[in-house]
Amino acid sequence: MNHQLRLATEEDLATIMKLEKASFGNDSWSKATMRAEILAPHTFYIVAYQDDEIVGYAGLSKQTGSTSADIQTIAVSEASRRKGIGRELMKKLITQASQLLATEVFLEVREDRPAPKKLYESLGFESIDRRDNYYQPDGIAAIVMRLSISSLVSGEPLVIGIETSCDETGIGIVRGSTLLANVISSSMDQHARFGGVVPEIAARAHLEAIQSTLQKALHDAGISLKEVDAVAVTNGPGLAGALMVGVGAAKALAIAIDKPIYAVNHLVAHVAVDVLERGKLETPTVALLVSGGHTSLLLVRDLLTDVELLGETIDDAAGEAFDKVARVLGLSYPGGPEIDRVAKEGNPNAIRFPRGLTLPKDQDKHRYNFSFSGLKTAVARHVELAQSKAEEISTPDVAASFREAVVDVLVSKAIKACLDHEVPRLILGGGVVANARLREVAAKRCDEAGIELRIPAFSLCTDNGAMIASLAAQKIMAGEAPSELGFGVNSTLPI
Amino acid sequence: MTQVLLALDSSSGTAVAVLVEGVVVSELYHPDTMQHAEQIGLQIAKALEVADKKSSDVTAVAVGLGPGPFTGLRVGIAAAKMFAEGVSVPIFGVSSLSAIAFGEELDEPTLVITDARRSEVYFALFEGKTNYGEPVLTRGPGVKKQSELEAEFLSQSISYRLVTGQIKASSVGNLVLAQLAQGGANEVITANYLRAPDAVPARGKKVSG
Repeated sequence: MNHQLRLATEEDLATIMKLEKASFGNDSWSKATMRAEILAPHTFYIVAYQDDEIVGYAGLSKQTGSTSADIQTIAVSEASRRKGIGRELMKKLITQASQLLATEVFLEVREDRPAPKKLYESLGFESIDRRDNYYQPDGIAAIVMRLSISSLVSGEPLVIGIETSCDETGIGIVRGSTLLANVISSSMDQHARFGGVVPEIAARAHLEAIQSTLQKALHDAGISLKEVDAVAVTNGPGLAGALMVGVGAAKALAIAIDKPIYAVNHLVAHVAVDVLERGKLETPTVALLVSGGHTSLLLVRDLLTDVELLGETIDDAAGEAFDKVARVLGLSYPGGPEIDRVAKEGNPNAIRFPRGLTLPKDQDKHRYNFSFSGLKTAVARHVELAQSKAEEISTPDVAASFREAVVDVLVSKAIKACLDHEVPRLILGGGVVANARLREVAAKRCDEAGIELRIPAFSLCTDNGAMIASLAAQKIMAGEAPSELGFGVNSTLPI
Repeated sequence: MTQVLLALDSSSGTAVAVLVEGVVVSELYHPDTMQHAEQIGLQIAKALEVADKKSSDVTAVAVGLGPGPFTGLRVGIAAAKMFAEGVSVPIFGVSSLSAIAFGEELDEPTLVITDARRSEVYFALFEGKTNYGEPVLTRGPGVKKQSELEAEFLSQSISYRLVTGQIKASSVGNLVLAQLAQGGANEVITANYLRAPDAVPARGKKVSG
């Protein structure tokens, strides 16, 4: 194809009129109408030319403020047909319509012209109406056709996010930076008698829950799968068997609806929820992610291109420590809320439990790393020692002192990270954010240090599908290519 | 409307087939039993491509429900469920062992076994077929060491022909089609694990020792 496209000008009018007459005969527009169309501020007329000769033209109309655009006319000279010039012209007009933020493009086509109708259908137009005697004087009916411009093109992708990295089957739906649905089905109750998440039980529960969770999310969002632009899924870090349920499900869903798939990092996605609450992520920011599976400090200079893992736990996750200490204290699972409840009545300074990796000697290698294993053992020793001496222990005091030790380390290291890197923001994420004392201490110390603290809504802090969809939507809007279909899961996926 | 059945099974490798009006037009099998998450999408896409069908042409999904090693088994069932949801078509499930037996002559007792790892096999004994071709299960399904199973059958004077054949997704599809032709197939899609999760309830509170 050696033809090219350019904007039409008034100088092209004579040639265009020649083509117009040849193409539409007694149905042609007058020269005055054509001139007005080409010059009007709300229209976009282009010509296709080859060796300085105009071989086709087409025009679009899009009123300011309207979400629809109309293909006004299109013609290609007899000699230049069947070379794809009509298609090129149409594609250019559709691109222009989407750039003008139209979500629908309409056109009419003569019922007795199957060739152009076929072209429009191949471009995604659907017949929506028929108007009798539309083309006069021949009395030919018009078929009205409509193209729904994918929101992917207009900048606000509709994305389904699937999260199955631990014990929550989460499916969220976002449109661009807007949250539409966030449904979570948790298998937490099934793990209670084991005192912690059992990977096989979690994976089985995902398989049972995934379809109904999707259905509920679609219902909540008030959308159908036909409208969806992309599918996103966590492929790590997390429990491998659990992750695989989500990845298998997401891939099949993407193929079924013929849409691209995005593999998403679970930890980075935790940070992406801020986009849903504030429209964008203020950067740079430090993120403290604390859950039953993770305790990580991230430095986020750019959500998509520059996220650095500053440190993480070298043994138990903070949430895991809460669960284990709850067992020591005879409290139920999950331990976090139970310890929070009991600690209210206790003295946080009653027992000085160790703060892991906070000694000066740890500041080189483990400046931003965490360790809760020693703390957990210290609590157990404390309780066992008291029992061996048949002494009463104050459960509230132990709970409060333990909680204080965890919170102290988490917040101290997060603030140190902010100060070291001169980052004036801290965002929290993960299920342990539900802990009242963590929020309280973080708020107080951030305030003192002049650091802005962001705590997302709790439903967005725990593992959820909305964060997965949100990160993928940001990738799409930044023009990132989708993942290849052959990706796997990685339980220790790096950032 | 042309009947297009997408059949999946991940009870061993990743098996995908497309049957158009009951005719197998694509049949794929990826033998790696540790690559289900990676392979499932590739194999579905390829099976549709070979069959020259779009996902929206699919009118039903058939899936093998196991038994099979859990992690891989779930990938195929999760994919089957979501594909069916995505194109809004019904989904039917059959035993993966029955699907293997479906492709066999069952004039004599036939023992179908597949690898269950941990030196065990999943097994089911079949003899004869129903009037629409469904294998008649006479024992199992279960999971055992093959030597124990053989000893057990020997002690009960049960003779059998042993089938260790690899499953074909088309057999899953054909079995479902046979059931549908007969009046109905199973729409309850749950994995047949045959083993409880390896998990022991928390003993007590001693964690420091």
